[in-house]
Amino acid sequence: MTDFPALLGALAGHEVEFILVGGVAATAHGSARLTQDLDVVYRRNPANFRRLTQALAPHSPYLRGAPPGLPFQWDEVTIAHGLNFTLVTALGSIDLLGEIVGGGKYELLLPHTIVLRLFGIDCRALDLAKLIEVKRAAGRPKDLEAIAELEQLLAERAG
Amino acid sequence: MDKASPWVDPVVEAYKAGIDLTLLRENLRKTPEQRIDALMELQRFAEELRRAGCEAMKKLRGQPR
Repeated sequence: MTDFPALLGALAGHEVEFILVGGVAATAHGSARLTQDLDVVYRRNPANFRRLTQALAPHSPYLRGAPPGLPFQWDEVTIAHGLNFTLVTALGSIDLLGEIVGGGKYELLLPHTIVLRLFGIDCRALDLAKLIEVKRAAGRPKDLEAIAELEQLLAERAG
Repeated sequence: MDKASPWVDPVVEAYKAGIDLTLLRENLRKTPEQRIDALMELQRFAEELRRAGCEAMKKLRGQPR
């Protein structure tokens, strides 16, 4: 099980700049669907790479699904050379995304976020309309049912 | 795309018919934090179901046919 409060606490505790996207953002907006991991878009700059490294290093981050024993090193250089990381940690699974289809990078998503107070932490999350837009842009068949639910939530709010 | 008339995906529209609005309305009455707490409860329940399923399968395999 993913310990969402602990993961969010680790990120916020090191002042990582991130935006909640994906299933947890959908849950925060009212979705009833089950999700297993925390998806975040992080700001790509050296200062944030350092914060991300420090935030997750104590929780043994490793590439999710990779065989054990790979020479994976969680540090600023690794983050700078990569973009999207699907990780498993002692606190659960987290996807760190440098950018997302239909939304782009952190700076482009920022105007389409809301601030949620979660477990005593102020977290930015994609707003519902943008969440729908990026899921549509991703074009994955598995998202179609989720999009239908998010659009119903939007209609319920408007109604 | 024209914003005034967004494209309607017929598959998404078909899924909408099957969505339980009572669940969504119940969720909308909660705070975002309560919604994530409920998600974690659901995760715990799913893990317990998986564990119980594995245990039951092991017992079945151990039984003579």
